[in-house]
Amino acid sequence: MGDDRRWSRVPARRLTRRQFLVGTGASLLVACARGIQPQGPTPTPTGPSPTPASPSPSPTLSDILNFANWPFYIDKKTLRDFRKQYGVNVNYIEEINDNVEYFAKIREPLSRRQSIERDIIVLTDWMASRLIKLGWLAELDKDNIPNWTNLVDTLENPSFDPGRRFSLPWQSGFTGIGYNPKLTGRKLTSVNDIFDPAFKGHVTMLTEMRDTLGLVLLGMGVAPEEATLEDAEAAVERIKEAVETGQIRRFTGNDYGPDLVRGDAWVSFAWSGDVVQLKQDNPDLEWLFPEEGFMFWSDNMLIPITAEHKFTAETFMNFVYDPKIAAQIAAFVQFVSPVEGVKEELTKIDPALAENPLIVPDPETLARAHIFRPLDPEEEQQFEQLFQSVVRA
Amino acid sequence: MSAELAVEERAVPRPAWPAPRPRRWRPGDVLLWGYAALGLVYLFLPIGVMVLFSFNRPRGRFNFVWQEFSLDAWAHPLAVPALADAMVLSLKVAAIATTAATVFGTLIALALIRYRFRGGGAVNVLLLLPLTTPEVVMGSSLLTLFLTWGIPTGFLTIVIAHIMFSISYVVLTVKARLRGFDWTLEEAAMDLGANEWRTFRKVTLPLIYPGILAAGLLSFALSLDDFIITLFNAGPEVTFPLYVWGSARVAVPPQINVIGTTILVLTVVLIGLSLVVQRRRYR
Amino acid sequence: MRGRLRALVPYVMAAPGVAWLVLFFLVPILTLAQTSLSRGTFFTGFHFAWDWRNYLDALTTFDQQFIRSFEYAGMATLIALAVGYPLAYAIAFRGGRYKTLLLALVVLPFFTTYLIRTLAWMTILADEGPVVKALKVLHLLPADGRLLATTIAVVGGLTYNFLPFMVLPIYVALEKIEPELVDAARDLYASSFRAFRRVVLPLSMPGVFAGSLLTFIPAAGDFINAQLLGTSRQTMIGNVIQSQFLVLLDYPTAAALSFLLMAAILLAVFVYARLLGTEQLTG
Repeated sequence: MGDDRRWSRVPARRLTRRQFLVGTGASLLVACARGIQPQGPTPTPTGPSPTPASPSPSPTLSDILNFANWPFYIDKKTLRDFRKQYGVNVNYIEEINDNVEYFAKIREPLSRRQSIERDIIVLTDWMASRLIKLGWLAELDKDNIPNWTNLVDTLENPSFDPGRRFSLPWQSGFTGIGYNPKLTGRKLTSVNDIFDPAFKGHVTMLTEMRDTLGLVLLGMGVAPEEATLEDAEAAVERIKEAVETGQIRRFTGNDYGPDLVRGDAWVSFAWSGDVVQLKQDNPDLEWLFPEEGFMFWSDNMLIPITAEHKFTAETFMNFVYDPKIAAQIAAFVQFVSPVEGVKEELTKIDPALAENPLIVPDPETLARAHIFRPLDPEEEQQFEQLFQSVVRA
Repeated sequence: MSAELAVEERAVPRPAWPAPRPRRWRPGDVLLWGYAALGLVYLFLPIGVMVLFSFNRPRGRFNFVWQEFSLDAWAHPLAVPALADAMVLSLKVAAIATTAATVFGTLIALALIRYRFRGGGAVNVLLLLPLTTPEVVMGSSLLTLFLTWGIPTGFLTIVIAHIMFSISYVVLTVKARLRGFDWTLEEAAMDLGANEWRTFRKVTLPLIYPGILAAGLLSFALSLDDFIITLFNAGPEVTFPLYVWGSARVAVPPQINVIGTTILVLTVVLIGLSLVVQRRRYR
Repeated sequence: MRGRLRALVPYVMAAPGVAWLVLFFLVPILTLAQTSLSRGTFFTGFHFAWDWRNYLDALTTFDQQFIRSFEYAGMATLIALAVGYPLAYAIAFRGGRYKTLLLALVVLPFFTTYLIRTLAWMTILADEGPVVKALKVLHLLPADGRLLATTIAVVGGLTYNFLPFMVLPIYVALEKIEPELVDAARDLYASSFRAFRRVVLPLSMPGVFAGSLLTFIPAAGDFINAQLLGTSRQTMIGNVIQSQFLVLLDYPTAAALSFLLMAAILLAVFVYARLLGTEQLTG
């Protein structure tokens, strides 16, 4: 279809895909390969094995859909359109600020198979992986989501969910640097600029381990795809030093926003679309793709195993995988849409958006993006403990 | 906070203010008042900021930098649905928790003051304990209880927690009121042939009513404002303080300031009214 | 028979509230104790094991945060005393007919949501805000200095948020002192400072004692001020308990920390009571 226009510089779809894969570097490729053919020690699930999806009790639409998402992660029109088309009211709850915190909030009821009164929740890859291993997610009935074939090929087989049995990407994005050139007094280029003593006390990092550790590792010349525990220790040591000298002001989830806007933070590890949105508050803010590379992630729509309205949830997933709707969302949230054909639709809305590398990244940008190595549960705990000991005290 | 309302009551019932003695202004007084004035400025600075920023029109998500004067937020105080929901939830919780805590607390206070009974001292100690325990400890211990019992946290557990921490305050406030109570009035009523219930309703209750009202107000305010204990036991529910906590990270609509200001104004009105009512009662 | 039934009345009256406190305050503390001696992780499940290592681990890992919490709470208490005592004194002895009004003014800010007040402090103290700019112009703050995200801001926030807990008990104690007594003392000691030291101050000590405790205890367990007004270097024990419980799901460590906090506070109260003399306790 219009795929040839998706990456403007490359002519044919076949080539596009290859270039995309090559472009994204070993990272995504490795991730995909692992997904299909697990290499090395197979992660042993710590929780009960995923229960097969229970047949949806009634394939009829409910009146309401409870959708928990991160703040500023959808436009209001999409929800209205969904109601118009299907007569379903979306109870849209912006309650997710941090993967770890949200997990803490839902773990008790879900571990007891009690309802959390949510039909769709949106969590980042690694947390989605954890929920799958715990068996807390309902398997998606792809018959109800015919549009799922619009998912970009590169995201089809992540290591944690080969074939996307339990998860469907909501948005992807980059973790890089958001900063205020007026306050830093200069343009930044490198991840390591965040350690510049001139910015002492005006620097924030993220509480998401993979984001912060990944960027710091990149600054140290280590690919996050190959990070060992020793690498992580070295990176954490570097962060710790920066905490002790007072370089780092805070570790944040979403809340680097107010700090950047007020001018308390000059340089922050930040999420791509966020910084674009924050420009409304403070037009001086700039986004930086650090020269050493940056992190790439996806947030996924997941259906908790106790969801009351599974069929409606799947209908909604199908709805947002329509390129037209996906483009509408992308235009608002300014993150990378995982849906094929969005670029064409974006061109119709605003050609500038279609050319924005933050929303429709070109292969050169993707080539420099990294994803964190999949960790088995034991490693996960080691890494987290190491990291959290600095970040959350 | 327990003392404050009790204090007002003690201050108010005085039949007449002592006539101000003519006195010279000493330099010490000037110093003292200057100091006190500074203290008041310190106390009201953040309040001023809150009120001021309720009239702001923020450019984007955050109401942190003054942009321009606007009445938008006041015209549409419920424009943010999640905020409105949170407020409604908080009011519901506060209403239920206040009612229960006021009843429980008043009964304990009556029992302690009216009767001497074995274990009364232990009850006094039990009542003091929550006041000397940090909120994190209360919140976290209650959470472990709910985890152990397998009770899902949510509306019910918030209400349970709020009743728990309000009881002590209610007892203290009502007790402060009862201390000066003339119990012979009750006996007189019974001598006149009223039964106990009738005596309570017609004599005791009207006399201790202001104390109960003050206790209820206090417990309502405490419930509406509680953050720490609620954070531990709220489950998926979001009360007003929890909403403010979450929004501080991602978006602060000026409606938060509008609601904060409204609560403040209502408090002023209620305190004013209760003072007037009490003063009248003593005439 | 009737007499025996009557003897039951106070028990029946106190029963619901006392039961509530036992069930949702005392029993949770016991579950907390049990959890603090358990082993395991969220993923493998927890089991009771008389495991005292949690306490050792908690103490050795988070000793800094413990010390910091007590330092900050101590500083906040001292500053609150320095600000609050003169304020209470001014109102009690010089308030005249405006006593109630002034007291209401002191209490009023605290009917605004705690979190909104603290957010307002963030706005006031912001690096690019007017206060910091003014201080820099006056050279009271170095050019690269700041207020927000410093120890000053955290202690200032703690002081602010718990100030009324200091003012009110002191006011109550001062208010009880007969003005005639002060006048007599002034005649006796000739200097008003000595009159204050010999008469007023000792008589107000119960208020100081209660006020200090009511300020110190919540301040030591607080995590909101450190979170919003501080950095990772101002983390207090409350922050650790909160994140261990609600984020990292390490219940045994979190429970051990809660228990240690409670024990440390009880110890502090005991030492403080000994220093001031136990008779002050009963006031």
